[in-house]
Amino acid sequence: MEYLYGIIIIVGLYVILATSFNLIIGYGGLFSIAHPVFFALGAYASALLARELDVPMPLAMLAGALVAVVASVALALPSLRVSGDYLLIASIGFQLGMLEVIKNLRFTGGPGGLTNIPPFLIREFGRESYVLLVLFLAVAVTLLVRWIARSDYGRAMSAMRDDELAFASLGRDAMRMKIVIFGLGSGLAGLAGALYAHYFRFIAPEQFEILQSAAILTMVVVGGLRTTWGPVVGALLLQALPQMLTFLNLPPSVLGPIQGMLFTGLVLVFMFFRPQGLLPAEDVWHGREGLGGTRRN
Amino acid sequence: MTANVLEVRELNKSFDGIVVAREINLTLQSGRVVGLIGPNGAGKTSLFNLITGVVKPDSGTVLLEGAPLDRLAFPQRVRRGLSRTWQHIRLFPSLSVLDNLLIGTHDYPGERLLNVLFRHAHLAEHDKAARERASDLLARMGLGHVAGALVADLPYGQQKLVGVARALMGKAKCLLLDEPMAGVEGQSYAAMQRIVREVADRGVAVCVVEHNVAFIRDLCDEGVFMFAGAIMARGTVADLTRDPQLTELYFGH
Amino acid sequence: MLDATIILQILWSSLAISCYYVLFAVAFALVLKVTRLFNFAQAAIMTIAFYTAFVAVQWLEWPAWVAFLLMMAASLAASYVLERLGFEALRRRGVSVMFVFVFTFMVSEFVAYVAMLVFGTWPQTIFPAMFWPVTLVGNIAVSAWDLPAIGVTIAALAALSAFMRFTGAGQFMVAVADNPALAELYGINKRQTFLLAMMIAGALVGLGMFLYGTRAQVLPQTGISLMLFAVAATIIGGIGSLAGAAVAAVILGIIQNASVLVISSEWQGFLLYVFLFAAIVLFPKGLRLPRRRFGTASHRVTRSPAAPAAESKAA
Repeated sequence: MEYLYGIIIIVGLYVILATSFNLIIGYGGLFSIAHPVFFALGAYASALLARELDVPMPLAMLAGALVAVVASVALALPSLRVSGDYLLIASIGFQLGMLEVIKNLRFTGGPGGLTNIPPFLIREFGRESYVLLVLFLAVAVTLLVRWIARSDYGRAMSAMRDDELAFASLGRDAMRMKIVIFGLGSGLAGLAGALYAHYFRFIAPEQFEILQSAAILTMVVVGGLRTTWGPVVGALLLQALPQMLTFLNLPPSVLGPIQGMLFTGLVLVFMFFRPQGLLPAEDVWHGREGLGGTRRN
Repeated sequence: MTANVLEVRELNKSFDGIVVAREINLTLQSGRVVGLIGPNGAGKTSLFNLITGVVKPDSGTVLLEGAPLDRLAFPQRVRRGLSRTWQHIRLFPSLSVLDNLLIGTHDYPGERLLNVLFRHAHLAEHDKAARERASDLLARMGLGHVAGALVADLPYGQQKLVGVARALMGKAKCLLLDEPMAGVEGQSYAAMQRIVREVADRGVAVCVVEHNVAFIRDLCDEGVFMFAGAIMARGTVADLTRDPQLTELYFGH
Repeated sequence: MLDATIILQILWSSLAISCYYVLFAVAFALVLKVTRLFNFAQAAIMTIAFYTAFVAVQWLEWPAWVAFLLMMAASLAASYVLERLGFEALRRRGVSVMFVFVFTFMVSEFVAYVAMLVFGTWPQTIFPAMFWPVTLVGNIAVSAWDLPAIGVTIAALAALSAFMRFTGAGQFMVAVADNPALAELYGINKRQTFLLAMMIAGALVGLGMFLYGTRAQVLPQTGISLMLFAVAATIIGGIGSLAGAAVAAVILGIIQNASVLVISSEWQGFLLYVFLFAAIVLFPKGLRLPRRRFGTASHRVTRSPAAPAAESKAA
C-alpha cells in the first residue's frame, strides 16, 4: 500500500511539474530547461528550513516555493533583457551550475544528499492524508493554469506569443509578463519540490538532474502543449513507463540510461513528427464562457 | 484646437552608412491629417520607427504634448498616447477580430494576474465597457458582422481596417498610419477614409504614410515629401503633386 | 608562491590544453556563422567520435592511425546525417530557432545515454595507458603531447583560414554567412554550403576529440560540458568571428587552468557555468541575430516580417 501511495504522490507531483512547465513554455512561449533546478531549490530550501531552523512545515514549504520564485526571476531578468533565446542558454547553465553548487556545499549534504527531513502530516494523520494533499494540489494547480490561460491574461499571452512587436505597439510590457509567468511556473515547481522533500524525507542532487528536464519536457510535448489535460496525460503516461521498466529487473546502471534514452528519444520523436502532442492544442485562443472570447465553429 | 501634439526635432539616423533620417523636423497638430509621401526607401517607415522608439535615433528628440519621449521604450510611448499601424498589418492570428480589438485597450485590468484571481467584478465591468467600444467601432467600419471571426478568415482590406481599429482602441492622441490603403479597395476604402477623418475631427493628430495619391489628396490637410531620408518639401497635397521636380524624384528611379 | 616559473608553467600548459577547446569553439562558431544555428548537437558528434576511437583502440586493438581515420569518418558521417536528416527537415518546417536548440540538446542527451548504456559511466581515454614523456625546457615541464597538439591545431586553423579565403567553396560559405538570401540569388547552393560547414565542423570536432581523448578522461556527459565552453567562447569572441572564438577559447582555457591557484579543484567545473553566464550578461552584442524563423516556411496565417531592423530598412 505504501508503495502505491509513493507512486500516486510522484504522479501528482509530476502533474504539478508538467502543468507549471506548460505554463512557461506552452502559454508563455518561453524556452527553458531549468525546471528541475527550481524543483530542487524548493525541496532543499524547505527541507533545510524545517530541519535546521525548526520552521513549521507549511511555512517552510511556502518559503521553498518563494526561493524558487526569487531564483527564477533572478535568472530571467538579465537573460530576457538580452533576448528570449538567451534564457534557454542561461537556463542550461543555471540548471547544471546550481546543481554543481549543491553538490559541493556541505550544508546541503553534498553529493550524498540530505536526509532526516522532517515529515509533514504523516505522523499525525497517516500517509493517506499526504496523498490527498498532493492530489488536491495537483488538481488545484491544473485548474489554476487553465483559469489563467482562459482569462484575459491568457488572451494577452496568446497575443504576445503571436507577435511581440505588435504586442508592444499596444502598450504592453512583454518582458514583465514573461517574468511573471516564469516566476509563477517556477514557484509551483518549488512547491512540488517541498512536497517531495517532506514525504520521501531524502533528497539528493542526482534526483534533479537533466534527465528530469527531459522527462518533464517530454510530458508536456507528448501530452500536448498548451492544453489543460495534455500535461496530465503526459505525466500519467510517462510515470507508468518507468514503473513498467522496473518490472524488468534491470540493474541500475542499465535502468538509468534506458530511462534517459526513453525520455530524450520520445521528445525527439514527438518534436519531429508530432510537435503538437497527443492532445492537440488549437492555435486559436478560447476564452471562458460568459466572459466571452472566441468560439470557433 | 490646433495644439502641437507631436514634435520631431532634428532627428538623424543612419544604418551602415545609409542615411534613413536627415535632420527631420515635423509637427503634428491635433485635428489635422498630415500625409507623408515619397518613393520607396525614402525613410517614411523608418521615421515612424524612430518616432515610436522601435529604433533609436543618432540624434534629435521627439516630444509628445511637450514632454520628451527619448528615454521611453516603445510600449511606454504607446501608453502615453502614441499609436501606430504596420505596413504588414500584424494582427494576432490566434485571436478573433473582437479579441484583437479588446487587447488594443491600454489598461486592461484582466492582465494583472492578481486581478484575474481576486477582483472578478471589477474585471467584468471593465470588460463590458471595452466590448461596447469595440463593437461600436467595428459597426462604424461596417465590420460588425465579423466580430467573432478569426482575422485569418478575413479579406485583406478588412484585415487592414481591423488593424486601424485596434490602433484606435487605445484612445491615442497621435496616430501614425503606415500605408493603410495599400491593397485596399471598394467599401473598405471608403470606410477607411471616413474613419480617419472622424478620428481627426475628434482631435487626434494623424500622420499617414501612403502611395495612393487620391487618398492623400482627399484626406490630408498637409503633405510632406520625403526622399533619401530628408524632407524635401511641404505644402498642400495639390501643390506637391503638381511640382515636376518632386514627381521626377518619385518616379524617376 | 607565485613566481615566474609557476606562471610560465601554467601559461604553457594552458596553451597546450586550449588546443582542443579552440577546435571545439571554432567548429561551433563556424556552424553558427554559416547556418545561423546553435548546434548543441555537436556534443553528440564529439561523443560519437570519441567512443569510435575508443572502441577501435581498446576493443578491436587496431593501431592508432586506423582509429584516427575511423574517428574522423564517424564524425563526418554523424555530421552528414545530422544535417541532411535533421536540420534540413526542421528548416523545411520553419520551426523556431529555440525549437532547434532544444532539439539539438536532446540529441546530445540521447547520445550520452546510449554511451552510458554501452560504455558505462567510468572515465575512459583513447589509449589504455597515457604516458607522455616530459622534458624540461628551462624550468618548465613540456609534455611530448603539447607540441604536436599545438602544431596540429595551428595547422588545422591555417587550413581552414586558407580554405575560406582562397577557395570558391570557402568563399561561398562566407557569402552565405553574410546574407543567405542574396547568396542564393547569386546562384550559390545554400544547401551544399550548409552541409560543407557542418562537415568541416565535424572534422574539427574529430580532431579536437582525438586530442582530448589522448590526454584527458572522457565520460558520456563530457561532450555536453565541453560544449558549454565552446558556446561561451563563441559568444565572448563575437558571433560571426571564428578568430574571436579561437582567441576567447584560449583565454578561457588559461583562466580556467590558472584558477587552480585560487579556487579548490571541486569548484573548477562550476567555473564553466560562471563563464557562460558572464558571457551572456556581459557580451550581449554577441547575440545579434535577427529573430527569424528557422528556414523559410511560414505556417502562420498573417505573415510577420522579420525584425524592426528589416522594417526600418524597408521604406
